Amino acid sequence: MSGQHHPSADILAAYASGVLEPGFGLVVAAHVDGCAQCRRQVASYEAISGDALCEIDDAAMGDDALSRVMSRLDGAAPEKLAMDRRPFAERLTLKPRKWVAPGVWVAAVETPHARTNRVYVLSVAPGMPTARHEHSGAEFCTVLKGAYRDELGLFRAGDFAATDHDVNHQPVVQGDEACVCLFATEGRLQPQGLLGRLAFAYADV
Amino acid sequence: MDDCADISDEALLTQIAAGNRVAFSSLFGRYASKVKGYLIKLGARGAAAEDLAQDVMVSIWRRAASFDPAKAKASTWIYVVARNAWIDKLRRERVELAYRDTLIIDEASDEELPDDAVSRVQTEAQMAEALELLSEEQKQVVRLSFFEDRPHSEIAEHLSLPLGTVKSRLRLALIKLRAHWEQMK
Repeated sequence: MSGQHHPSADILAAYASGVLEPGFGLVVAAHVDGCAQCRRQVASYEAISGDALCEIDDAAMGDDALSRVMSRLDGAAPEKLAMDRRPFAERLTLKPRKWVAPGVWVAAVETPHARTNRVYVLSVAPGMPTARHEHSGAEFCTVLKGAYRDELGLFRAGDFAATDHDVNHQPVVQGDEACVCLFATEGRLQPQGLLGRLAFAYADV
Repeated sequence: MDDCADISDEALLTQIAAGNRVAFSSLFGRYASKVKGYLIKLGARGAAAEDLAQDVMVSIWRRAASFDPAKAKASTWIYVVARNAWIDKLRRERVELAYRDTLIIDEASDEELPDDAVSRVQTEAQMAEALELLSEEQKQVVRLSFFEDRPHSEIAEHLSLPLGTVKSRLRLALIKLRAHWEQMK
């Protein structure tokens, strides 16, 4: 699933540096996982950081650090850890789905994140309008399944979108399967109208 | 004191993967203080930086078998292990914070709506109708919480009520609204 819409170089660099908020990093990871082009870019940022690591000022370890670490090493040779090769979407741990309208469910993602952020999966069936909403902060989104279209274009599985507070948009699901997206949202979503707000309160996102 | 001074970092990691402790102590000499310096740059302080740097070195031992010299330099790989350890640390610290004070309905009592629970779109008019079911007190907390987006603590202060009362009032209001919506499906 290598899409047309990628995170910006800034976002990928922040991701590679580990400075993105964990929930936002997860959404970038969902894209990078399926995008060879972005994986190469992240790898090159990591190589630069690796070089920088070699140049960094030493901070002396404690006198007994080596012996303490050696005493923690397992007896046998380390084993190769098994890679989790399931598709990204299946590796997410979701809280129970909450149906907030016909054909629309949200599920919070089990991931530690800042108290003011929300990390969740939203699924919208074809033909369902989504609530027009504004953002009170940054939002990252990676499409996991299906497709949607909004003012910025067509977004298909693997595509990534970053929006910020001045966007007021209304995505429309394309095609005949539900569109499932992973979101990280800073601050509260601002759905217009009480219904939207209560729906999101219900869903705890 | 590096017993493997003429061996590359990459070759050391390969030997570590085979369980070579001498190679590990050489790599420790080359990288542990760099890793600690990096963690301090990220914001780790004092004993926490030391502990985390030691954890990173243990992770390097445990994960050495997944290092592939064809894919990355040793310094890149070590950087990634250290970076991920830092992110994991932040995540652990965030676990406590992840629970929102705005969580209204207890997880245990919060039953999932079935797939086909809602068979039509709830309109704003229906919302208004549903709101009429609430007592004035309940309407007031719903309005402050969802229209004005105020935190529970602020609502409590504003209404001179204990925080627990605000939360239970909101909870009852939402349960009432949900029951109303359930009837409409």
